[in-house]
Amino acid sequence: MNRQRISALANKDARELIRNPGAIVPPVLMVFASLVPAFLVTIGAPMIAGETLEESGDFVEESARAINMIPELAALTGEALIQAFLFHQFALLLLMVPVVAATSLATHAVIGEKQAKALEPILATPISTIELLMAKTLTPFVFALALTWSAAALYVAGILAAGEPGVWRAVIGVRTLIMFVILGPLVELATLQVSVLVSSRANDPRSAQQFTSLIILPITAVFIAQLMGGFVVGAPALLLGVAGVLVLNGLLLWLGVQVFQRETILTRWR
Amino acid sequence: MAADLLVADRLTRTFGDRVAVRDLSLSVATGEIVALLGPNGAGKTTTMRMLAGLILPTAGRIAIDHVDISEATADLARRSVGLLTETPGLWERLTVRFNLLTYARLHGLDRPAEQVDRVLAEVDLADRADDLAGTLSKGLKQRAALARALIHRPPVVLLDEPTSGLDPASARHVRDLILGLRNEGRAVLVSTHNLAEAEELADRIAVIKTQLLAFDAPAALRGRREGITVAIEFDDGSKHSVEVRDLSEVPDLVQRLVHEGKRIVRVVPDRRSLEDVYLSLVGADS
Repeated sequence: MNRQRISALANKDARELIRNPGAIVPPVLMVFASLVPAFLVTIGAPMIAGETLEESGDFVEESARAINMIPELAALTGEALIQAFLFHQFALLLLMVPVVAATSLATHAVIGEKQAKALEPILATPISTIELLMAKTLTPFVFALALTWSAAALYVAGILAAGEPGVWRAVIGVRTLIMFVILGPLVELATLQVSVLVSSRANDPRSAQQFTSLIILPITAVFIAQLMGGFVVGAPALLLGVAGVLVLNGLLLWLGVQVFQRETILTRWR
Repeated sequence: MAADLLVADRLTRTFGDRVAVRDLSLSVATGEIVALLGPNGAGKTTTMRMLAGLILPTAGRIAIDHVDISEATADLARRSVGLLTETPGLWERLTVRFNLLTYARLHGLDRPAEQVDRVLAEVDLADRADDLAGTLSKGLKQRAALARALIHRPPVVLLDEPTSGLDPASARHVRDLILGLRNEGRAVLVSTHNLAEAEELADRIAVIKTQLLAFDAPAALRGRREGITVAIEFDDGSKHSVEVRDLSEVPDLVQRLVHEGKRIVRVVPDRRSLEDVYLSLVGADS
């Protein structure tokens, strides 16, 4: 495997991305918008209703139960505890949105080159299939990571500014670090690998995009189930998830190389 | 005799039940330009792709720079061959320089920036290096694409319809660049529809329509037709065409006509055009 070839193609993709505001602005706006629900539910709604979450009785039991799964919450009581609980629950949304945003780039990765008639010259170089797939995943991955971490920084800054004292500290715990530094990036990588894989098999970007939109369904399901059922995915479950997604990433890379058919792409796509 | 840098031996390529190329053999030597002529769907692009290591032949053998190409060595073909694709396929949001720099890195070249400067000078595009590729005219894009094909100094150059859609001046410039490749000792295979271009550029012409129909020097191809038409003009202004098997029959023909009392002003053997030969080979409907 040649790192120079991977970085050359990924660098090219990054330059193209930077020169295309139409591809950057919507994902960035989407990520900013994803911050709103957490603050709306936790800070905005009680202000509008004129009573705190604790006074309304919402999420009181769920918050108390969550202390078992998120030890950082133990230092808090009352409104601060409920706020910290809710901010933890909404954090999953911050992982989901950058993935959705970056899949549009990844989905376009191979099929976009084909449409621009640029794929044949690329394939005429010594680049191997695995190098091509890695290069095509790298730029969307870095983009998704930058979006995720920017969103996380803004999230914590918002909590610091608008939340009860100490809430922000309870939000930055082991669970959050696992989510944003290990599991989140791995899930993003897996999702983007699937997107690139679909991009290498689909006939046009729209069908590829529609197919990859199905990928986020499991994450959405976990997020909604969390909010509806009030359960918390704790650090041990997240670490188990890390192991699973790590294996999944390896499998996806292998599968991507197996299903990438240079000849089919060149001779059958129009 | 110059060594063959590119050898295709009985190449066949099928796609499902469809045979795109059958039993095709040709070679291109050092410092030689071979034109690949054929109608649409004749298998020219498929042949180019096989020779560039992009797709594998179903049967037959390819050797590039004396190394046999297989699935395991297709990578070697891609290092030794420069391919100009039918459409330039440049990244239009990026500068010409960055387009080429990316390819220099994909080929793993040392000092890629210097290689880009060199190849830009070769195709006379240095003054447009920092322009976005999307802002170039079609002719300049084709030159940039040619620069991309030559960035790694390949001994074998495959050019798929290099002047297609270009205005006469741009086409002339590209043709001059192609002639320059011969002088550098590269083996050049040019796929084209343009018979005049093939005749001007090529040392040998391969006419294909799924299979190889003819492979010879342009002059030899022109002389392939059986029989020659001789146009005879008489002093009364009348003209007459006579078919002879070869030019050696002309003196006897003239003598016979003179003996019959004809006063001949001019006898012109009708030099057959490459187009006639091409059409007779591939069929006029092509």
